[in-house]
Amino acid sequence: MKTDVANENNVGETKSFLSFRLGEEHFTIPVMKIMEILEVPKITKVPQSPNFLVGVINLRGAVLPVIDTRIKFGMTQMEYTINTCILVLSVEVNDEPLVVGALVDSVSEVFELNEATIKPSPSIATKYRADYIAGMIQEDDHFMMVLNIDKVFSSNDLESIAETKDAKVEE
Amino acid sequence: MEEMKETYIQEANELLENLESSLLSLEDNPNDKSNIEQVFRVMHTLKGNSSMFGLTKIAEFVHDLETIYDKIRQGEMELSKEILNTTLASFDHLNQIIHDSELSEPKNQENHVSLIAQIHKFINKTGAENTNSKPSVTTTNVSVESGALKTFHIHFEPNEELFLDGSNPLFVIAELAALGKNIIVPHFKKVASIEEFVPTNCITYWDVYVETTVDKTDVQDVFVFVEGNSKIEITEIPFIDLIKNSAFNEVVLASIFKDLKTDVTSIQLLAESIGTKVTAVKKVEAVAATETKTENKEKVVSSIRVASDKLDELMNLVSELVTTQASLTLYNEKFETPELEIISENIEKLSRRLRDIAFGMTLVPINNMFSRFQRLVRDVSDMLGKEVQFVTEGGETELDKSIIETLTDPLMHIIRNSLDHGLETPEDRMFLGKPRKGTVKLKAFYSGISVYVQIIDDGKGIDAEIIRAKAISKGFLREEDVLTDKEIFDFIFYPGFSTAAVVTDISGRGVGMDVVKRNITDLKGTVSVESTVNVGTTLTIKLPLSLSIIDGLLVEIEKVNYIIPLSVVNKCYEVNNADMLHNFNKLLILEDKQVPYINIRQEFGYENLKEDEKSQLIVVSDGDHEVGISVDYIVGEYQAVVKPIGKYYKNQDFISGATILGDGSIALVMDTHKIVELYTEHVKMEAK
Repeated sequence: MKTDVANENNVGETKSFLSFRLGEEHFTIPVMKIMEILEVPKITKVPQSPNFLVGVINLRGAVLPVIDTRIKFGMTQMEYTINTCILVLSVEVNDEPLVVGALVDSVSEVFELNEATIKPSPSIATKYRADYIAGMIQEDDHFMMVLNIDKVFSSNDLESIAETKDAKVEE
Repeated sequence: MEEMKETYIQEANELLENLESSLLSLEDNPNDKSNIEQVFRVMHTLKGNSSMFGLTKIAEFVHDLETIYDKIRQGEMELSKEILNTTLASFDHLNQIIHDSELSEPKNQENHVSLIAQIHKFINKTGAENTNSKPSVTTTNVSVESGALKTFHIHFEPNEELFLDGSNPLFVIAELAALGKNIIVPHFKKVASIEEFVPTNCITYWDVYVETTVDKTDVQDVFVFVEGNSKIEITEIPFIDLIKNSAFNEVVLASIFKDLKTDVTSIQLLAESIGTKVTAVKKVEAVAATETKTENKEKVVSSIRVASDKLDELMNLVSELVTTQASLTLYNEKFETPELEIISENIEKLSRRLRDIAFGMTLVPINNMFSRFQRLVRDVSDMLGKEVQFVTEGGETELDKSIIETLTDPLMHIIRNSLDHGLETPEDRMFLGKPRKGTVKLKAFYSGISVYVQIIDDGKGIDAEIIRAKAISKGFLREEDVLTDKEIFDFIFYPGFSTAAVVTDISGRGVGMDVVKRNITDLKGTVSVESTVNVGTTLTIKLPLSLSIIDGLLVEIEKVNYIIPLSVVNKCYEVNNADMLHNFNKLLILEDKQVPYINIRQEFGYENLKEDEKSQLIVVSDGDHEVGISVDYIVGEYQAVVKPIGKYYKNQDFISGATILGDGSIALVMDTHKIVELYTEHVKMEAK
């Protein structure tokens, strides 16, 4: 809702985006939302917490919750590789700022893009929750999903995230 | 400008708080001179601030109010209950109008007018008395109380730029005039031509002669807001009766037209020939006056205003420093370099001190809150027709400022309850052989890492039988249940539980005590009640000293570090896992006591205990009970800086936070009470 990027009539602004990979899929989020990128440090798991919450890490003296984006998107959990990293994101949930770490398989690149070139993508809604995806962009021969991270990481959504996960298990 | 206004309101709030506590202690000791001085000073500052910001309505109002206290200070007037009541009402009014300086609300306007009328009545009353006693210049009440009459010559030459910072020299002149009989002679600096005239410059200066009883320091006080940028000369002329003397007037007035710089020595000579010599100046008075002055100055230096987010930031940095220092110590232990050891130890000492100071800064004395209640007690007891002595003890006890803020409402509620339901009417008390005046005592003290706040009244107490009957009728309790008195008293914290037969304006609706309990629980505190019929009730609130630092026991479960607050840990035992695994009723006999235990590995969903190994059992107190919690290893004691773990973990509330250990890893802070709750719920579910 904040990133009303799907509006094609606008002569959109040019913004920086960062792309990352989860398995074979490419995703992208505005660079403005990313505070830093970390290697995976020691993660402390909180007992009895949902699966997608991998635990908490020490971010220079502050305690940062980390979410496994794979599990959150209904993919299977993977061993961490040398490319696995944590994106420290600043998201807005109910108008309150919230800092959260997102575990991703690898970070690809930072590129500039005119917002007007982002296309809405209704077909994708079958696989991922429609409100998680702000739109699609075409890069050469592959497509990338632009994430609405305020939605993806809103903690209020814990239950519906669990639904996504369960749905995947059933498949 | 908005920002300045905010500063003004913030300062005004502080001043008003100050004023209130002084007023209330004045009520108890109406003759306490230092308190009257204090009230006067606060009003004076408030007036100055208000006029500086151009809030003339407030400034004028405070000025009138101040006049009364000036008169009291001078001994021209007695402090009466009526004056105090009006002052307190004015105080309430001021609290309103600092946000509404133009009196745009009709209610404020109305109050304003009626209060000013009341104040003027007081002022005029004394004025009338004074004229009666005027013929004899040295009336007893004047000279005895505040020194003998004398004349001052004041040369006041404001800097030309005085207007630019919002000061008005006429306020100063008016204040000087209020000191006593006076002659005010304005002079104007020459301006070469109308082209050169700058309207924002102050080109007027004054010579003022005033015959007064106050001391030189008090005269200087008048200039407190213009001191910095004006030329002020105050000369004491130890003669009186000059002002009315025509010869004197002639000389003085002549200076206006001739525009002479008034020569101080010639005035002195003139005064000698025509004035009446003042024989003895009260030295002691003068000394006393200077003393209060210096004390005042020290106060100014001893505190500065710091935005609380800066403090929070400082706290964060200090916590980080403590953590970094811990890793340095850890590193040194590994390599054992003697030079490094010295450095590391020094840093440890320094960071420890820094930590203590930083934590100390976020603590504020509970007194700030206590003084607010004085007013509440006064008003409520007046309304209820009860006579109450309100005693506070341990006001110097310090608590985290955020705790104090959250505690105010619950305490206010409890005190209201004590006044309304606890204390009897004076007649009933006499009948019972108790002193007419009831006592409500607010007491705070430290114990370990907790702070206790108690509200003690000597009223009629709570009858456990009545509570019991009520609990049964409300369905909270069955007829056959046997409970201790303490457990029965706990019912007053149940939602919808009120024993007051009549719902009054003040309390008795049964909303409240449950909210009180919830607020206190939110602060990680507990609340309990003790009561004896006809002797009184004591309500005890136990609070952590600070929310952010705790002494804890560092333990390990499944390679994850946990902190158990040391305040709940009673003892640690080593037990065989087999004893816990093959235990039918989940009780261990330790030192002849039966202790229920929680197998935390099972509870947290980790791999279960290994049959042939041993575990450490940490026995913690949970309310009145003891419960054992099994952990893999005990690492040691650790002073933990507790940080929130965030909203994502709101369903894992048995973890109350996290702390960062010396090696940079994270330990989770356990809330043992919640773990016990979780376990009992879990067991109940299984039973079904």
